[in-house]
Amino acid sequence: MENADTIAAVATPPGRGGIGVVRVSGKDLKSLTLSIIGYIPEPRYASLSRFFDGDGQVIDQGIVLFFPAPHSYTGEDVLELQGHGGPAVMNLLLSSCLSAGARMAQPGEFTLRAYLNNKLDLAQAESVADVIDASTSEAARCAMRSLQGEFSSAIHVLVQALTDLRISVEASLDFSEEEIDHAHHADVSRMLRGVQAHLEHVLASARQGSILREGVWAVLIGQPNVGKSSLLNLLTGEEASIVTEIPGTTRDTIRRTIEIEGIPFHLLDTAGLRETDDTVEKMGIARTRSTLEKANFALLVMDSRRGVTPEDQAILDSLPAGLPVIYVYNKIDLLDEPLVADAKKSGSGIYVSAITGAGIETLRQRLLEMAGWQPRSMGEGVFMARQRHLRALTIARECLGNAAEMDGGAFQFELLAEELRLAQQALSSITGEFVADDLLGEIFSRFCIGK
Amino acid sequence: MLLRRTLPYIASRFTVECHLFSEYDGSVVNCSQNFDVIVIGGGHAGTEAALVAARMGKKTLLLSHNIETLGQMSCNPSIGGIGKGHLVKEVDALGGAMAAAADEAGIQFRILNSSKGPAVRATRVQADRMLYRQAIRRRLENQPNLWLFQQGVDDLTLEGERVTGVVTQLGIRFTARAVILTAGTFLGGLAHVGSANFQAGRAGDPPSISLAARLREMKLPVGRLKTGTPPRIDGRSIDYSAVTEQPGDDPVPVFSFMGDAARHPRQLSCWMTHTNSRTHDIIRGGLDRSPLFTGVIEGTGPRYCPSIEDKVVRFPAKESHQIFLEPEGLDTHEVYPNGISTSLPFDMQVKLVQSIKGLENAHITRPGYAIEYDFFDPRALKSSLETKTIEGLFFAGQINGTTGYEEAAAQGLLAGINAARKTQDREAWCPRRDEAYLGVLVDDLVTRGVTEPYRMFTSRAEYRLQLREDNADLRLTGVGRELGVVDDVRWASFEAKREAIVREQDRLKATWLRPNAGLNALPEADVLRVLGKAIGHDYSLYDLLRRPDVSYAALMTLPGAGECVVAPEVAEQVEIQAKYHGYIERQKDEVARNAGYGDICLPLDLDYATVRGLSTEAQQKLNQIKPETAGQAARISGMTPAAISLLLVHVKRGFSGQKKKKSA
Repeated sequence: MENADTIAAVATPPGRGGIGVVRVSGKDLKSLTLSIIGYIPEPRYASLSRFFDGDGQVIDQGIVLFFPAPHSYTGEDVLELQGHGGPAVMNLLLSSCLSAGARMAQPGEFTLRAYLNNKLDLAQAESVADVIDASTSEAARCAMRSLQGEFSSAIHVLVQALTDLRISVEASLDFSEEEIDHAHHADVSRMLRGVQAHLEHVLASARQGSILREGVWAVLIGQPNVGKSSLLNLLTGEEASIVTEIPGTTRDTIRRTIEIEGIPFHLLDTAGLRETDDTVEKMGIARTRSTLEKANFALLVMDSRRGVTPEDQAILDSLPAGLPVIYVYNKIDLLDEPLVADAKKSGSGIYVSAITGAGIETLRQRLLEMAGWQPRSMGEGVFMARQRHLRALTIARECLGNAAEMDGGAFQFELLAEELRLAQQALSSITGEFVADDLLGEIFSRFCIGK
Repeated sequence: MLLRRTLPYIASRFTVECHLFSEYDGSVVNCSQNFDVIVIGGGHAGTEAALVAARMGKKTLLLSHNIETLGQMSCNPSIGGIGKGHLVKEVDALGGAMAAAADEAGIQFRILNSSKGPAVRATRVQADRMLYRQAIRRRLENQPNLWLFQQGVDDLTLEGERVTGVVTQLGIRFTARAVILTAGTFLGGLAHVGSANFQAGRAGDPPSISLAARLREMKLPVGRLKTGTPPRIDGRSIDYSAVTEQPGDDPVPVFSFMGDAARHPRQLSCWMTHTNSRTHDIIRGGLDRSPLFTGVIEGTGPRYCPSIEDKVVRFPAKESHQIFLEPEGLDTHEVYPNGISTSLPFDMQVKLVQSIKGLENAHITRPGYAIEYDFFDPRALKSSLETKTIEGLFFAGQINGTTGYEEAAAQGLLAGINAARKTQDREAWCPRRDEAYLGVLVDDLVTRGVTEPYRMFTSRAEYRLQLREDNADLRLTGVGRELGVVDDVRWASFEAKREAIVREQDRLKATWLRPNAGLNALPEADVLRVLGKAIGHDYSLYDLLRRPDVSYAALMTLPGAGECVVAPEVAEQVEIQAKYHGYIERQKDEVARNAGYGDICLPLDLDYATVRGLSTEAQQKLNQIKPETAGQAARISGMTPAAISLLLVHVKRGFSGQKKKKSA
């Protein structure tokens, strides 16, 4: 069984560890290999190499392994690029592979190819369906998370604008004999420019919403002396953590940024949030509250011997409704027996000790979870999902760009239609399929067609 | 008045037919003749099916309840149009009859979309009904291996799950290994004019009631659709000074690759007029007597070919709708007013027609009507058009939920080819979606099914740029020759054309233009005139032809371009292929990418509920459709790549099990 195309994916769990692997599989990887590392490495030998992007810029340096078919995991040519494990590097490396002709692998696709090429024994094969099933639902969940908020609504506006344009273009091709308002080249150009503008907006918001670049925002609540700082230091401890304190007046929000597994967590300190009669200070607090609007969750740190204080509660009550809260009970080493009432109520209590390190790993996992980070071996995480979406948008942008170059000459209207079809096809990988019949349905509902 | 005259006529004919088979006592008369292929129905599907099966050397019987109506155009008298013309060219490229018959019967020819790109250009012919029928009839009567017989079919004979023949209304039995059913709207047909309705196949013809009942017994999934026609008008009562003339193209196009404009009959114009607000008021006033709006009609009509009452109700803001007045032929005054299909009561029809400019004194010769009919869910068919449940039984044409002569002819041709191949125990043939509109048509039908009468549009073809009218022969005549459906004359003409194209392409690639090479230098004025700007280095003529704004004709005027000795259709092909090269290559890449596992066969008896990991929705859809290949499965709506992966894993598991047994 053969498949013509080349697939690529980040093979290591997202964000974990110092080394990350991008794996590529395809019938013939020579040209891709040449464009990424500049030479064909000796089969099955580890060699140190620089990795290049499409413009010949060095992205990273790492180990490259080349397994020619059929002696590889999938039975096809397989290239493994081992680079520094941070998500930024992995994404650049993956992007280079995509520009060099690969497409992003479907969940479980490497295993599928291995199976179809008789690379797995019967016992292993039994589990292939489960792997595909599990990794697919994982990917679907991540895609859902990626498709949220402004990004989602912007995509829908974009798809509608593109559909409207295609309605005009296709109607003038298939129904030119009908008495309907046929699109002139000027209308098409205008609509096309509109679609392109929408696309740029979506791309911008997709990148902006990227956890990788922007990180996650959290409200940090906790009375003085509950051990917030020591906790944060411990969380980021063994990694190259950046703990910054942005100084400001008492009326401004204090923001600290920590990094866990390469994801920036922006912690908004609520120290400035308190009841006051001072008008100037009220304005400052209002400003603080508007900053809180962008928080993804709240982190409440308590002395486990005291639990939620009335002051904590007041702040909790003032937070936007529905904001998830992580209850962190610190200093459990000083506790005679666990205090459980609040934890049971919220169902999300985490017991830690900044002194002994107990519970820190649990807290770290919970924070990563809140960031949409899913460090599981078979999952691909929101990063990959978002990466797919960005890829689809990039393809659509290219097609629209080609369409914009058509000058409306006789031969070109159907070529323009073709570019628009391909753009829509790319977008439908984000929003679900849109087939010819759907388009015809839109045309028939808008125009009175038929003799 | 007219209605009263027409109705009893139909009713009485129907009674006569009923009477015939009510006398039939159930005994079977065994006919001595056995056939390879039996075709039931003599419409556009049936005639193409019978002709092609006979052309492939199979002893073929065409059964029709009326030999006089073979090749009848029962709706508007035109063939082709955007998407449909593409199908006709493909049928022609495979040796079919439709395009050639249209050339013999065409009284107005046009190329639609001529100002647009070649992929969407399409031929449309206004045909003389009688000439068309004669052209088809002559082909049928002169086709070796083909027998005609006038009898309605009452029953199919089966042996287990295989068809073995048919039984006619008089109990005459014919046997064959393959039977093609092309019953059109005749199955369970019910015509409506106002609140009056009567059983009919199409106006004036009896329906096939008992066959419909028989097929229902076979548990083939049945649905109900609706279509309609406008009232016909006596041309002598039309005021032509008040309507707009629409002449045919000059020079007159030809439809068939073997056609010749010199052999067309005399050419006529069509005419155009419009409905107005008074027409719309009349229609709105009669909706309470419209079977469409009172719920009498249950079948689904097409959204792209609505009745005039539909148009007025659904698009109230549109103040007028265009109507084409199409002549029905050279020897008749009847005119087909395309655009006012209706099932309103006859008195309303008269009022609405006479409210239209130019038709104030129009005399209606036949009332318009809507007709409901049974169709079979085409998802029960293989892509060969053979039913999945009954071996050797093929369905083609309107019975599969399509509309249009062209869609019917294309299916008939395919069913005929595959029925013939079935009798030779050869595997079925169907073009892929990137090879022909015929492939798009069949794949859409068997994979997606229909919710309204299916009609071809170019936007249904994702590989539209490749599937053009102009290259239908280049796409299909070669495979047609291998299938045994392309005769020597067509083959010779095709080969000559193909060679001429290659020769000219080679010449263009080998002829170089030099910007400033001394003696051979091109005059700058010529370069600017043809290319728009100076050239910086040497170019082959072929490279220059690939530029969007350089035409072949203009290029040939350049000094040193050599002599343009090729036929216009060769020049056209060279030019289009050069211009579309990049796009076609890209589409071919897309085809190759999608090919992958697409050809892997899926067993038709696979129970998808047993496939591990498939969602319930996917299981249900797959069990309903039972795709033949993984590629078809992937095209089922809502099917994900993961679901296809799971299918592949499941199927492979079965195969490896088989392998093990063999080696053991």
